[in-house]
Amino acid sequence: MTVQYRLKSFFRKPHNIILFVLVLILSYLTLVPLLTMIIDTVTVHTAEARRLKLPVGTVTLSHWAKVLFDPASVSIFYKPLLNSLITSLGACAIALGFGGTFAWLVTRTNMKYKSLLSSLCIFPYIMPSWTLALAWYNIFKNSVVGGTPGIFTALTGIQAPNWFAYGPFPIALVTGLHYAPFAYIMIGGILRNMDANLEEAAMMLNTPRSRIITKITIPIVIPAVLSTFLLVFSSAMSSFAVPTFLGLPVRYQVLTTQLYRTMNGLNPGQGYSIAMIMILLGVSILAMNQKIIGLRKNYTTVTGKSSNIALVNLKKARTPVSIIVAVFLFSVSLLPLISFALESIILRPGDYSPSNITLQFWIGSAADNTMANSEPGLLLNPTLYRSLWNSIKLSLACSLCAGTVGFLAGYAIVRGRGKKLSDFVNNLAFFPYLMPSMAFSAIYLSMFSIQRGPIPALYGTFAILVLAGTVKYLPFASRSGINAMFQLSKEIEEAGVIMGIGWWKRMTRLVIPIQKSSFISGYLLPFTSCMRELSLFILLVTPANRVLTTLLFYYNEKGWNQYSNGINLLIVLIVILFNFFVNKVSGASIDKGIGG
Amino acid sequence: MKIKRIVAILFICLLMAPAVLVAQGGKESGAAPAQAVAEKEMTKEELIAAAQKEGTLTVYSPSSRHSKVGDEFGAKYGIKVQVTQLKDVEMIEKVSKEAAANLDAADVVFVQDGGRIYTELLDTGYITSYTPMDLRSTIEQKYQNPLQVWDLCTKVFIYNSERWQQPITNVWELTEPKWKGLVQMKDPFGEGVNMNFLTMITKDEHAKALADAYKKLYGKDLVLTTKNAGYEWIKMFFQNGLLLGKSDTTIAEQIGAKGQANQWMALFTMNKLRTAKDKNLALAPSYNVEPFSGFYYPIYASIPSNSRSVNAAKLFIDYALSEEGYAAFNQLGDYSPNPALKNTEDPVSIQEWDKMLIYEDPEWCAEARADVEEFLSAIM
Repeated sequence: MTVQYRLKSFFRKPHNIILFVLVLILSYLTLVPLLTMIIDTVTVHTAEARRLKLPVGTVTLSHWAKVLFDPASVSIFYKPLLNSLITSLGACAIALGFGGTFAWLVTRTNMKYKSLLSSLCIFPYIMPSWTLALAWYNIFKNSVVGGTPGIFTALTGIQAPNWFAYGPFPIALVTGLHYAPFAYIMIGGILRNMDANLEEAAMMLNTPRSRIITKITIPIVIPAVLSTFLLVFSSAMSSFAVPTFLGLPVRYQVLTTQLYRTMNGLNPGQGYSIAMIMILLGVSILAMNQKIIGLRKNYTTVTGKSSNIALVNLKKARTPVSIIVAVFLFSVSLLPLISFALESIILRPGDYSPSNITLQFWIGSAADNTMANSEPGLLLNPTLYRSLWNSIKLSLACSLCAGTVGFLAGYAIVRGRGKKLSDFVNNLAFFPYLMPSMAFSAIYLSMFSIQRGPIPALYGTFAILVLAGTVKYLPFASRSGINAMFQLSKEIEEAGVIMGIGWWKRMTRLVIPIQKSSFISGYLLPFTSCMRELSLFILLVTPANRVLTTLLFYYNEKGWNQYSNGINLLIVLIVILFNFFVNKVSGASIDKGIGG
Repeated sequence: MKIKRIVAILFICLLMAPAVLVAQGGKESGAAPAQAVAEKEMTKEELIAAAQKEGTLTVYSPSSRHSKVGDEFGAKYGIKVQVTQLKDVEMIEKVSKEAAANLDAADVVFVQDGGRIYTELLDTGYITSYTPMDLRSTIEQKYQNPLQVWDLCTKVFIYNSERWQQPITNVWELTEPKWKGLVQMKDPFGEGVNMNFLTMITKDEHAKALADAYKKLYGKDLVLTTKNAGYEWIKMFFQNGLLLGKSDTTIAEQIGAKGQANQWMALFTMNKLRTAKDKNLALAPSYNVEPFSGFYYPIYASIPSNSRSVNAAKLFIDYALSEEGYAAFNQLGDYSPNPALKNTEDPVSIQEWDKMLIYEDPEWCAEARADVEEFLSAIM
């Protein structure tokens, strides 16, 4: 066989072409930042030069030494690492527990109000994670922090204990609830679509329900569970807002808060080293994931055959279960929204009497709002509309790019499964998610500041925001794509191949329609995430392309709670509207994940 | 199989080679020669003409109020002004990257956190100082060097004044059991100026003042377990249950709320006293505490090396330091370094505050802050 022939046969398979192209593009977009960061862990930065008495750029191992092998390492690294592991694993357990149970209830039982509850379920993810943290803080804060008593204390007269109000417990819980929709979307997607033959066969053999769940249902959802675990774990590891809100009063440090401290203090090198370790952790979980999935040959759940499974009858428990689930979802999904709305219309904080209610922060003119430095009401504010439009444009663009690339990546990775190239692309598409947003965007700022060969200078353009958002959120889309493709039996596409149908037509007529909802969720997740992303964009934004979250940040900094709560409400409503619109047009939605 | 791998590796290498060079290059070539801001002095008229010729101006500021000032300036001189609001952390990162790549970005940068600015922006030549000619003889030297100060902000020990008078006269009292868990402060790792303050009190002169204050209060010498009295106070202050907060606004609300059993105390910006009444908070600042009642820090006005409108930038700084341009900021907690502009809301002038508060020295902070950060990490 000649080289030429082998190359030809390699490129005859569409998934190889896709993998090849992705390697080229993603290497530049993700490996360069990674290498830059690695270099940053072993060089002297301007902030450190004075203290280390070395010129900027000198190679040094002092950062690593300080982080890993110094008496100070315990407080700089090991303790925060332990805390991060505790809260992240806790968050995974909570997300999988809630999300998985809910997914099972929706897809496998006759619970009531399914479609309503299903839409409510994704709200916690739509809202920025710190909003739930803030809500927790406001409800359970005790006399340790002073001020007006928390709502819980005000109502019951009981002081919440410290461990309940601050620290690891609420951090894990809030983070877990925030990411529970991941579990619901992914696990629910598989359950909805899986080949019911297996369960049915078991039923015919009179297997008890519990045994069906442990021996059939759970093994089949394992890839989704692992994907969820991977995403939740890495998200929780890199989450910054929740630990700062709930950890600070008891000085509970995790890796991200430590990272922020060092990178924004005078020891950025230590920060980069910590970030590298976080990336390594994430990648090793990804590798474990690949290994486990690789061991099992088949996770196909969608085959050429189909059937319908009988739902579990909850019988007497039906109404109570439905009500418990509804109350729970209401309190984590709607209560924060109601609180945003309320906080945006009261004048003095903490006073909810009718006389204290005003719409001036929404529709007041500049002259009305002397308290907030004459900022016009939100609905009269031209800056708001400009940023709103930019945000929507940006999120749409990122979602289209990330969703499409993620779908192609998912297709190619699964079809090329087991090959080095496929694993490589899988890694490339994943680890940007693990990089600290600020560091990632700072590197992009440098990478695209001037024209380099065929790559144009993108500084100050809208394109650089789209690029950063796309790469950063590609993991969501690629995970969706991979999950969807894992389920899809090869036989379906093979049937097309035998019939002599071209690749393009196989995609548009077979693969995409069958797994439509799953792929669409690959578009919706990046959209949602972009709408509320701040730290990724703040360095790259110029006044002309300011986004809504920069405005939110600005109001937050000022302490103008009414405005920031109002914007929060707007962001959530837009995402919900968008989801609703996609749902109506395509029949799929973020919460249905698969098979809407 | 083998070929695939070779092809893949080959392409990656091909791709990476320039990329790595480029990533490195972008960093080093960074120190683009700072455009000589001070060539030859123009008269005000010449400056206005030159500025108008440039026509546009981009301002980075930590304050939202600069948008309004920008509009007024634009209307007055016919120069289009765009204002971007950035927090110190993002500001320093953004300005250094943009200056390193010599991008057409900011023209005026208002920035705080001297400890970081000194090494990351000033040492590198990314920003330069500019003092309007007519103010060079009137503004105090320490507000001109190493960078021109535009605004001075005070952070003072503020207490709940609902039923109480000023409860302390000496900062060592805050390390006593009486105050355990009743003092708050913004996380010094969250906002650099707070860390700079802690760094300042480890400087010999302030450490000595602390040691003296200790002796004055207790009639005996302080026994050191750390480098000096500054570190010792930080240690005792933090270990006395100091509660760290995320924002000064929240801290003000927490310590100032009425109807609390305990009297609270916190170190935060005087700014928050302005809205205390609207928010129904009982707050009052401490005066004449031994050896300091808090600290004050500068927000600098500077011109980045990558500015494309240097003259308009100078004109804007002129304006920002004038009565007209500073009017929006002349309020409790903010003071102009320009002695001609008296604070209209605070009966205490910045000159008087200067005697009661620790002032940030960026060079010392650049020198010693990393040690203080490490010290804090270990004791927290």
